[in-house]
Amino acid sequence: MGAVFSCTQDQAEPVVWKSIESDLQTLIIQAQDGDTISIPEGEFIFKNPLIIDGLKDLVLEGAGMDKTLLSFELQDRGAEGIRAANCTNLLFRDFTIQDSPGDNIKVTDTYGIRFTNVRSQWTGEPKEENGAYAFYPVLCKNVVIEDCIAIGSSDAGIYVGQSDSVIIRNNEVFHNVAGIESENSRWVEIYENHAHDNTGGILIFDMPGLTQSGHTTRVFDNKVISNNLRNFAPEGNVVSVVPPGTGIMMMATRKIEVFNNRISHNRTLGLALASYTLVEALGAEEGSQLDSANSRINNAYDPHPNYVYVHDNEVENKHWFPTFDSEFGLLFMRYFAFNLPDFAIDGILPPDEEFVLCMSNNGDIKFANIDAANEFEGRTTDWSPYACETGTIEPIF
Amino acid sequence: MRVFILFLLITTACATPDKKRPIVIEEVELGVEEVVDYPKLLSEWDLFEEPLNQLQPKGEQTFAYQINSALFSDYAHKARFIQLPENTKINYVEAEVLDFPKGTILIKNFYYPADFRKPEGERRVLETRLLVHAAEGWDAMVYEWNDEQTDAKRLILGNRKTVEWTDKYGALQRVNYSIPSQPQCKSCHDMNGKLTPIGPTVRQLNREDQLISWTNNGWLQLPKEGTLPKLVNYLDQEADLDQRARAWLEINCAHCHRKEGPAKNSGLYLQASQTDPYRLGVNKPPIAAGKGSGGLKYSIVPGRPDQSILIHRIASMEPGEMMPEVGRGMNHKEGIALIEEWISAMD
Repeated sequence: MGAVFSCTQDQAEPVVWKSIESDLQTLIIQAQDGDTISIPEGEFIFKNPLIIDGLKDLVLEGAGMDKTLLSFELQDRGAEGIRAANCTNLLFRDFTIQDSPGDNIKVTDTYGIRFTNVRSQWTGEPKEENGAYAFYPVLCKNVVIEDCIAIGSSDAGIYVGQSDSVIIRNNEVFHNVAGIESENSRWVEIYENHAHDNTGGILIFDMPGLTQSGHTTRVFDNKVISNNLRNFAPEGNVVSVVPPGTGIMMMATRKIEVFNNRISHNRTLGLALASYTLVEALGAEEGSQLDSANSRINNAYDPHPNYVYVHDNEVENKHWFPTFDSEFGLLFMRYFAFNLPDFAIDGILPPDEEFVLCMSNNGDIKFANIDAANEFEGRTTDWSPYACETGTIEPIF
Repeated sequence: MRVFILFLLITTACATPDKKRPIVIEEVELGVEEVVDYPKLLSEWDLFEEPLNQLQPKGEQTFAYQINSALFSDYAHKARFIQLPENTKINYVEAEVLDFPKGTILIKNFYYPADFRKPEGERRVLETRLLVHAAEGWDAMVYEWNDEQTDAKRLILGNRKTVEWTDKYGALQRVNYSIPSQPQCKSCHDMNGKLTPIGPTVRQLNREDQLISWTNNGWLQLPKEGTLPKLVNYLDQEADLDQRARAWLEINCAHCHRKEGPAKNSGLYLQASQTDPYRLGVNKPPIAAGKGSGGLKYSIVPGRPDQSILIHRIASMEPGEMMPEVGRGMNHKEGIALIEEWISAMD
């Protein structure tokens, strides 16, 4: 059988892929609003990005997550596998996409984007060469990512950036640097996800200098388990400073409610609340001539998190030591070995307004304010200032 | 609503295996109809005199134009033309692309002289791109020239062509030239979600007496007073370094990297009119660069091109890292050197 193909001089069995990219792209160009494009069962390879622009109510579907496989392993042009822009109500469902040299699926400037039952992954061991984002909606409104799987991203498996009205539910994310990351997004619900074996499980971040600041996020009913993977993000990216062993991390964003989550065996920290001031300092320390004072943050940006309510979570950590392959882990080792906190805040608080953090009903959660601004001098495990209940965030949907 | 269920008709071909195991690719046809909204052949547009490959514009209303600073496209030469409908005029716009009347066709031909030291000598035209100002807005299409150089055929999905030439130093150059797919056009030609021309702004067209001659021909009305904005030619060694670098960034990057462009999510804005150093990338951390960061922390570190992500990305050839994301199969050495010099000179 192997002799059929003269080009397979190698002894190894050839990998056989089908190619449908030219006809599929032609179909998409000719598609009209409301069309459904169904890709059959099979393993398909792409050398070019698949581009979708300006369509309304388009469905792109496979025959099932385990039946239709789109591989961008041989892609040599373009920065993402599937790129969709300027659409209204897109639905992607029932296929697997993998191994784009850039991002697997990027959707930008789109009103209404839904992913259902899609696996997006980089195959093989998690590694630096993998693309940044498996699912990458950015500058979108009305985003739903549900029943999906994200594996192997060198940045975030599910990344939602600068978007409004977002639901991320019932997904499984593992072997990514960040399992789920919501960045500069507003009105976000993250629930019933299983984030395990990432560097960090769930991140809610706000970065400076972007089109909008984020706020109003509910994180609940998630399982955030054993996110202890080494950090393989290229330096320079904000997730490269996330310490391995982080469960849920909030940075610089406001109005967050974290409740009913099971946060287990994340070696360094189950829950972290940090300012951009700290994260930037961690990122700037080595290699660069810069210190954080040089970096300019635009006026509209507030580097401090605020209005955070953490309640009814089950947090446990069977590990006695944090991970050591980050500066943070080493600091934690020094100050908290054998008695690791489950929830730490950096203690860099907003100077001009009240800092509102409430914790209630989190079992015997161990807390630490590490006083990062003063080299841990005033660190404390006393959480009584934050033993309070505050208004819950109304369900967004 | 229509539903397409794709059926497979298989023929087998081979790919060059780059990985450990050889890869066999079976080309599959889905029985898709041809795209028929515009002519299949360039000759049907009736834009050029025969022989077409001389690129001599036909009629009074089709004319050549030049711009000050050109997008780098693997050193391809470009012959640009505008066809204006009879009895129409271009409306003046100061800061953006001129307001072309409906029916306008912008024509860009990409070709390589066999020897760059004799640009008027033997040459090979590879592709012709048209931007057509239709009733609903601009449409883009791509025509690939045949080997006989007699005509060009509409291409929906792009193609690769190996091109060789002798460069201006006499060295043989070769590139796997990429003709874009039609949907890729909008990866750059996208302003607020609408397909838009990029090059023909006043500051690009303001060179020698080009705009005055357009006015004399009745194609354009210039404002009665004031000086017209002007971009330098980044290749002009006599021009100011900062202005040259900013011109290079504008034409190569700013169609995406601006508030209205597809890369607005990066917060990095590279138009020549940008005055905020942070927006230009000075001490600005990347947002969603992934491995595009190259392990570096800021887009521009003044005085340190080796620590600047901007240089890493314009000098990278890796998809997912390289900038621009499309339209380049080799590095623009002169452009990289220019931006390095510019960053080195920053305090």
